[in-house]
Amino acid sequence: MNTKPSAPGPRGQAMTVTRVADAQWQVLDNDLLAGRGYAMRRPDGRLFVSIDAWHSSAFDKLAEVMLADLPAPLHTVVDEADLELTSGWQQAGFTIRRREWQYVVPTDPRVTGLGAVLPPPGVRIVPAGEAYEVLLRALDRAIREEVEAGAGWHSMPAEVCPRPEGVTMVDASRYAVAAAADRYLGLLRLVTATRQPRIGLVAVRASEHRRGIARALLSHVLGTLHRSGITAASAEVDESNQAALALFDGIGGQRMSSNLELAR
Amino acid sequence: MRKQRDVIEVEGYVVECRRSAMFTVELDNGHRVLAHISGKIRKNYIKIVLEDRVLVELTPYDLTRGRIVFRYRD
Repeated sequence: MNTKPSAPGPRGQAMTVTRVADAQWQVLDNDLLAGRGYAMRRPDGRLFVSIDAWHSSAFDKLAEVMLADLPAPLHTVVDEADLELTSGWQQAGFTIRRREWQYVVPTDPRVTGLGAVLPPPGVRIVPAGEAYEVLLRALDRAIREEVEAGAGWHSMPAEVCPRPEGVTMVDASRYAVAAAADRYLGLLRLVTATRQPRIGLVAVRASEHRRGIARALLSHVLGTLHRSGITAASAEVDESNQAALALFDGIGGQRMSSNLELAR
Repeated sequence: MRKQRDVIEVEGYVVECRRSAMFTVELDNGHRVLAHISGKIRKNYIKIVLEDRVLVELTPYDLTRGRIVFRYRD
């Protein structure tokens, strides 16, 4: 345990920051717990930090000690609407690396305009749970190889869940697929474990872009949700992904909030 | 209700999603508190939506404000 006294907090006495575990810190203000800080290394190797403090001086002290204790680069995630927290990290030297929009996507075809959308000729939609797993994994690998040639894939939120080395598809039953006669062309992963289903991934082979396959996948999946009484799903889209932004904006998706990834 | 060092943890339901990353949570005792999401929840991209059952940490500094530290599955 490593304890460091510091300047007085709002209660008038010196705050004390203690590293209580390898990846956890706390600050006491007049012997009252005023905040905690955590560090977590993601499977992609990046080190993320977070601080929950009840007042700004506790945040500042925790940040000062944690940043001194931890190796750079460090990352964190904030809700952009949380101006106080965002400002605190920026004052600690963090800058914005990426922005991600949080969408609420309606399922009603009268709102999405997807009711009459069909797959392009020669393509059919395979519902979730019915895809042939060998072909689905081949599609997953092909799309990853295409996208990894660009930027952003490794930092996508869906990619940070711990899983065995090399495993990119945990549950094949979550995927609806756009299929040609001999291979799969696109996929949509839907997570339904929570009250509001989450569209975790929409991806199409690069050679099949601009054929309406993603819209056809969304039409199928959102239509299925609508028929089962679910009115909305959530999705996250990186600000740099203009095609995805246009897709979700175009079907009536509402940008409800945004997360910022900050780094120092 | 659970109590750790200087921290009171109470369960409740999210009854309002407000602007500025804040939520109104109605606690099981009927009181309502204004809560934000803990950094650990945000880092793990756990989404909080209306009617979610959550665990809220209350601060001894101000018992009308809290921090959502856990979201229960349905």
